[in-house]
Amino acid sequence: MADSHSHDHDDHSHGGFGTYMGVFGGLIILTAVSFWLGNSSLKDTMPVSAWAGMMAVSCGKAMLVILFFMHLKWEANWKYVLTIPSMMMSVFLVCMLVPDIGLRRVSYSNDRIIHSARPAETHDSIPHEPDADSHDEEEHASH
Amino acid sequence: MANDSSGHDDHAHGHIHLQYQPALPMDNGKVCMWLFLSTEIMFFAGLIGTYIVLRFGAPAWPGPADVHLVEWIGAANTFVLICSSVTIVLSLEAAKSDRVKQAKIFMGLTLVLGAVFLGVKAYEYQSKFRHGIYPSKPRSLIYEKPDVYYAAATRQRLRDAQAELTTRRAVLQEDKSDLSELELLRLEQLTAIEIGLVRWAEEKAAHGDSEAIPALAKIVYPGHGHGPDPAEIEREVTDLTGQQRQLESKQAVLMQEKTELQAATEPDQARINEVNTDLAAMPDQLSLVTNRIKALNLAKEAHHGLNEAFAEESSGWPWLVLPMVIPGGNMWASTYFLMTGFHALHVLVGLIIFGLAMMWRLGKNKTVFIENSGLYWHFVDLVWIFLFPLLYLF
Repeated sequence: MADSHSHDHDDHSHGGFGTYMGVFGGLIILTAVSFWLGNSSLKDTMPVSAWAGMMAVSCGKAMLVILFFMHLKWEANWKYVLTIPSMMMSVFLVCMLVPDIGLRRVSYSNDRIIHSARPAETHDSIPHEPDADSHDEEEHASH
Repeated sequence: MANDSSGHDDHAHGHIHLQYQPALPMDNGKVCMWLFLSTEIMFFAGLIGTYIVLRFGAPAWPGPADVHLVEWIGAANTFVLICSSVTIVLSLEAAKSDRVKQAKIFMGLTLVLGAVFLGVKAYEYQSKFRHGIYPSKPRSLIYEKPDVYYAAATRQRLRDAQAELTTRRAVLQEDKSDLSELELLRLEQLTAIEIGLVRWAEEKAAHGDSEAIPALAKIVYPGHGHGPDPAEIEREVTDLTGQQRQLESKQAVLMQEKTELQAATEPDQARINEVNTDLAAMPDQLSLVTNRIKALNLAKEAHHGLNEAFAEESSGWPWLVLPMVIPGGNMWASTYFLMTGFHALHVLVGLIIFGLAMMWRLGKNKTVFIENSGLYWHFVDLVWIFLFPLLYLF
């Protein structure tokens, strides 16, 4: 923990004007990249790739901010103790929500599907007088 | 942690000297800030994670343009926040080398940039509120699908607006006055929309036309999609004008027949009753057609939907916002306002901290404070780095 370089309080800072400007430039470029991805045709043709790309860019930006602006690049090993568990907890939280909330439509009842919101194009498939008790196989599930 | 102080001769002085070693190689304040930030990571990761799961598991989700989100404004705000992150880190550098004035200038710039971010956010919120997009009912006018409940809500909204105007008209008429020309025109428009669009759609839907209420919703608020085709509206108007003429001539014929029947020496009472029944139904049918024509003419001009066309010239705020169909819009509004709201609150807290710092001399002795407030500010920036693509670009 408290090792030899613990006392040289980072007064004579790492970074410096040049580094910060470089990081600033990097952040601007990455923002432009995610803006471009979000408005590109890739989002229509391969939305998952576009989303993953935008999230990867965001992670890159986050790393730049954390490492250089928050000086984590030059901190001792305590940084792992504080950041990694909390990030893992965040991932766990999302994983825990997926079966219950993320996949909630898988177990929707017929009635629920009929009354749920849907994109405008598929309104035609809504039956006129939905019979709540009917258990016939519904083709509404797929859209 | 305490160790025996090895360098002293304990026996000679009779007491023990303890040497403390800090648990972490940094200031206590910074330790606390990092602990706080790790809880903040979990807080925002919880919100963002929940949003992702809700969004991708939702049956429908609105596009940015459906809910008046402007991507370039979000990008500009991202730029502002990145700039403020640079200025706060430069303020810290200046304070470390005791360049007090420079540190203060950078701190001031951070404060201004943060305020610009909040100002833009307030403008964005206002543009949502202006269009009836709120996180919850009763103010929120978002409906998930164009069904009978949607049509009923639209009718109710129109009737409320009509009632407001007619009540005022009654009061004014007591003083031998009347509503302004504009208000009278609005009253007429309200009636035209209520009868010509809503009642028309409801009657059609009651007779099994599944497209009638979706068509109504499209006229009121087409979102980013295409509104009704003006050429199609024109065709319907021509068709309806023909129907109107037919009804009018039918009414004239019935009136004529009634007069002739009554003038006869031996009036055919059964036929008179038939004619009277037919005549009694005429005003209603005529009103439906006439108002439909008026309403369609309004819709033809409103390329972005009626709600947009109601914007007042003076304020830009619409004088009437009708319920609108935005599939997934309610969940979108809840998550958008919750996440951006919490983020904006964090920005506000940051601004208060910087405001305090502006009152001090930002020299070497304040570096710990600036570093800690900077850490907090970078974290706020970090959250926005994820919120921007998730909310504006996905």
